[in-house]
Amino acid sequence: MLTQIAVSLNSIANPIGQVLLAPIEWLPGWLSATLIGVVTGVLMLVVFKYTSNQSAIKRTRDQIKANMLALSLFKDDLGVSLRSQGRLLTGALRLILHALIPLAVLMIPMILILGQMSLWYQARPLRIGEESVVTVQLADESTDAVQAITLNTNDAVEVIAGPVRVSSKNMVCWKVMPIRDGQHQLEFKIGGETSLKEFVVGGAFEPTSQKRPAWDWNEVVMHPRETPFAPDSIVQSIEVTYPQRDALTAGTNNWVIYWFVISMVAAFVAKPFLNVNL
Amino acid sequence: MRDNQSEGIVSRRKLLTGAACAAVAAGVGATSYFVGGPNRVSRSLGKKVIVIGIDGMDPRLSAAMMKAGDLPNLAKMTASGGFSKLGTSIPPQSPVAWSNFINGSGPGSHGIFDFIHRHPHEHCKPYFAAAETLTPEGFVEWGDHQLQLDFWPFNHKPAKTVLRRQGVPFWDYLDAQKIDSVFYDLPSNYPPSPSQYGHHRCVSGMGTPDMLGTYGTYQYFSEDTPAAGVREGGGIRSKLRFENDSARATLIGPPDSFRKSPTPIEIEFEVHRDRQSDAVLLEIQDQKIMLQRGQWSRWTKLDFAISTPKLIPNQHASGICRFFLQEIAPNFRLYVTPINVNPSDPAVQLSEPDDFIENVSEELGLFYTTGFQEDHKARTNGVFNDDEFRRQATNVLEERLALFEYAVENYEDGLLFFYFSSSDLQSHIFWWDESDGNTQHPLISSPEAASRFQYVRDLYQRLDSIIGDINDRYSGKATIIVMSDHGFANFGRQFNLNSWLRDSGYLNPRECTNVLVNGDWSRTRAYGLGINGLYLNLKGREADGVVEPGEEQEQLLRRLKMQLESVRDVNGNQVIRNVYRSSEIYAGDATALAPDLIIGYARGYRASWETCLGELSEDTLRDNTSAWAADHCADALEVPGVLFCNKSIDKTDPSLVDVAPSILQEFGLPTPSTMTGQSIYKS
Repeated sequence: MLTQIAVSLNSIANPIGQVLLAPIEWLPGWLSATLIGVVTGVLMLVVFKYTSNQSAIKRTRDQIKANMLALSLFKDDLGVSLRSQGRLLTGALRLILHALIPLAVLMIPMILILGQMSLWYQARPLRIGEESVVTVQLADESTDAVQAITLNTNDAVEVIAGPVRVSSKNMVCWKVMPIRDGQHQLEFKIGGETSLKEFVVGGAFEPTSQKRPAWDWNEVVMHPRETPFAPDSIVQSIEVTYPQRDALTAGTNNWVIYWFVISMVAAFVAKPFLNVNL
Repeated sequence: MRDNQSEGIVSRRKLLTGAACAAVAAGVGATSYFVGGPNRVSRSLGKKVIVIGIDGMDPRLSAAMMKAGDLPNLAKMTASGGFSKLGTSIPPQSPVAWSNFINGSGPGSHGIFDFIHRHPHEHCKPYFAAAETLTPEGFVEWGDHQLQLDFWPFNHKPAKTVLRRQGVPFWDYLDAQKIDSVFYDLPSNYPPSPSQYGHHRCVSGMGTPDMLGTYGTYQYFSEDTPAAGVREGGGIRSKLRFENDSARATLIGPPDSFRKSPTPIEIEFEVHRDRQSDAVLLEIQDQKIMLQRGQWSRWTKLDFAISTPKLIPNQHASGICRFFLQEIAPNFRLYVTPINVNPSDPAVQLSEPDDFIENVSEELGLFYTTGFQEDHKARTNGVFNDDEFRRQATNVLEERLALFEYAVENYEDGLLFFYFSSSDLQSHIFWWDESDGNTQHPLISSPEAASRFQYVRDLYQRLDSIIGDINDRYSGKATIIVMSDHGFANFGRQFNLNSWLRDSGYLNPRECTNVLVNGDWSRTRAYGLGINGLYLNLKGREADGVVEPGEEQEQLLRRLKMQLESVRDVNGNQVIRNVYRSSEIYAGDATALAPDLIIGYARGYRASWETCLGELSEDTLRDNTSAWAADHCADALEVPGVLFCNKSIDKTDPSLVDVAPSILQEFGLPTPSTMTGQSIYKS
């Protein structure tokens, strides 16, 4: 069920992401990462404004301010100080409670946005001549398939080594080398079944799906671009090892931190203009 | 008149055209000078000196190859400038020799006398001469861990590696004058000495340890290794047991230094082989590496998690290694390079300033950082055959050439020094000059020896082309010096100094196997340690010294020198050409650890392998049956280095200590009083 929902959401997010994030391809990495951070930060703020109880948040913040004032004014009065501290704590808890609904509303779009961004920033496409390992994970009960599966070569990719068949893990690996730029498909055959996997070669920024996932919601969320394999498929997943992207703002793993910081900064900067209580 | 006018017009046209062409040519010339062509040339007008250090390049072979036309670029350099033998250090060992170069003065100034030194007051405990790791002092215990807190009020002293080279390196004088100097792979400078004024940069070379703190420990996995594994000099062998063609293996990493009893940090990895496709898959720390038989992997980053007490986050140290799949079946064999410190995220300081190597790595990627890069230990221990060693050495050379290109591309002015180790470590394995003393290789036939020696010649030719390139780029713009620290000689016979001392009654007891382990100090008057060192067991210096300083010491030294110089091999050949008294050849403030006598072996001879760490063997003289077939730890007069320069060499007998004063002179600086060398150029 969860997997089906994730697949359906990805089917909506993928075409939208493809259009909205297309400028990443020709913008410098730092600029696209900054723009996305700013836009998503402001959008999150707007969503927060209309999905939260702004007047209740304002009231709670005023109460927090009042209690902080009381703390500094009556610091010699232990009773008042303790009462104010207690109220500060409850005020903070109330603020968190007020944020729950907007967080719930924002959670799914944010996961989808991050999933789409990861396609661009988490890894970079292979360059011509750059070797990579392709791993096919087969279903547990398919011991014969380890011997039977083949990778069909084409004019875009050359098999350099392998296959190495790892029976104990139902896994088969090849070392491949791209020889032509572009978005290609690797074609695997087992019995009458053909399984495909995207294989990206070339430009600095292109959507790069590292794994065609198994029928598992967690994997589908992490690897949104390609249709997952059916639960009863012999092939469970296919993974291509892409190189890490070395960059401070739009590089592997760094991009998430950068996006978080930029979106937070953008939201705080836009807050007074949009009149939002956080 | 018209004709005259016409002629005048033509002449003017010609003149103008000529002037325009000249201007364009000058413009192109100036542009290429300042901007650089496909091979960049520095646009700076500052003084430039480029020094290429080629470890072990031999003057005899160089001269012969130049004569045969095999080294055209060095021949050209010789014709336009000069070529000379370069006097080496006593003893001619690389750490000593390069320290002579660094200080512009002899071992008495820098205190490096051998690869190996000893603590005389600690029963001659040996240590590597150029750098020593000091044991930590003080700690607090926290569960299974102990922490060194180097701040008040604890003021513990954590373990620290210190450079033992003393004196003033010549670049300090350049640094003080704000003249830039940059050194790549400089030997005898680990940890790198600091730059006081920020004009000196250096990547440490020979002497830099691997992640295990050794000078390079390979790891080797095979099915035929004994179950308990084997620890051998320079390597660790482990047995692999395959089940369904999959096996688990463990890489040994650095010690878990915060633990009370530090054990090595281990990284498990899986090996899967496919005999049908002749390939192997390695799974290590979420990385998949696939190799075919005979294939090398790229550098692989390894993350070593150093455990810390609870509540303190684990520390991490990053290492790099490469895998080499030698055989898949029937006997699976996998070689793993020593785990090098990761230059992109170094766990210890490898360069001055410390981010210099990271900047280099940002452009070049990962590369060897240990001082000894060609894995001669893998060859001498039989893990590599000749071809495999040559391939590994070629990998090293390719990396160094990329680094050299980086060095040249990023050079503006001042001093550029670049060091090549290949000529030394490949010569140790492949050198065998049958014409030198008409000697037969102890292990292989003459044609085989000759074909191996050809590898050395090929390498010289490769280096010659590199020198040609740098000459083409900087001829007339820079002073270019090509130098080596020593030459080479066959190493066919080995002499066990300690066995000779035993047989001559100076070392006891007769059944002693290692003077450091079961020698009787009360009956031992002299012992050998290191490759060329002989020490007296001197009262007041050694812990259990028996030789009285003064008259007894003097007589003993005289007698030993006389007897050693008269040692003859079974064929009557002189084994030792010269024995030097350190008191006569060394001068300076750093002579405290000098051996009493330095043994200068004749060509073809060297100290036995056992001698270096105080061991004894039954025979005093034996064939050298190691793959390490050539050496330079002979008498200094036997193995001078080379000196090529694109300027005339005016000094008649230049030696290593003269290079630094010459460089300083090129920058207009006088020879400092700390140096004993003199410039090779006329002032």
